[in-house]
Amino acid sequence: MNSFKPMKSCAVALATGLLLMTSGVFAQAAPATAGPNDAQIAHIVVTANQVDIDAGKLAESKGSKADVKAFGKMMVTDHTGVNKEATALVEKLKVKPEDNPTSESLKKGGEDNLKNLKALSDGAFDKAYIDHEVAYHQQVIDAMDKTLVPNAKNTELKALLVKVRPAFVAHLDHAKQLQASQGK
Amino acid sequence: MLRSAAGACALVIACGGGGIGEAAAATGTAHTVVIEAVKYEPETVTVKRGETVAWVNKDPFPHTVTAKGAFDSREIAAGKTWKFTPRKAGEYAYICTLHPTMFGRAYRMRTVT
Ligand SMILES: [Cu+2]
Repeated sequence: MNSFKPMKSCAVALATGLLLMTSGVFAQAAPATAGPNDAQIAHIVVTANQVDIDAGKLAESKGSKADVKAFGKMMVTDHTGVNKEATALVEKLKVKPEDNPTSESLKKGGEDNLKNLKALSDGAFDKAYIDHEVAYHQQVIDAMDKTLVPNAKNTELKALLVKVRPAFVAHLDHAKQLQASQGK
Repeated sequence: MLRSAAGACALVIACGGGGIGEAAAATGTAHTVVIEAVKYEPETVTVKRGETVAWVNKDPFPHTVTAKGAFDSREIAAGKTWKFTPRKAGEYAYICTLHPTMFGRAYRMRTVT
């Protein structure tokens, strides 16, 4: 590295940069047309569950109303269970979960939500948490229906998605009930 | 592990029933209700008094089988089974207290003599 002359290392950096940019474009273009592969789907599933586990843990401790705390606790329990099953399947299938833009955006969204929630308290926390849970579960169900299930190649992975989908629907309905009863 | 846990549950229920000699009447499992994908299958289970119903939780998270005032499994962990042997004739609507939206359908245990 030190042996490189400034000009040369500059050129190398530029070339590397161009190469990265080009491959970056390809990397992004490919999933958009082909959809995620099984390794990426596995990563998305685990990430989606983890994001909701983290929010649930916060609601368990920071939630104000008992039913909101209980909902948070159930999110931790249920999504941890789903992730255990997903992880066991991934190990059985010898698939290595692969990070991807969808997982990244889920993670980012989860971090932003936690940051937002941590700044709130009492009724404002409950409302923001439940509102986000409604939106989040809807988002994950949509992703399952439009992207994950149609693209899953392995039949066991697809079956797992189909099997856990009703749980996400149950959570969505439950969150909507809590949302409707807010302030009562 | 699974068997002994379920056995312990059945024993507790038998004791809860309060009747002496009832444990002996509990013969093997006659009926099975599978809990999977956040629903119970079949929706209605019809049994004779003294027959045992086993609820098998195939979801990766807990559920309950709760008929207020009649029976309550409490949390049935993932992969576990809860057994109940009804002593009285009647129809019992039950729910999962953890997943209120499982109320969507009417789940029942009907006991006939
Ligand atoms: Cu349930």
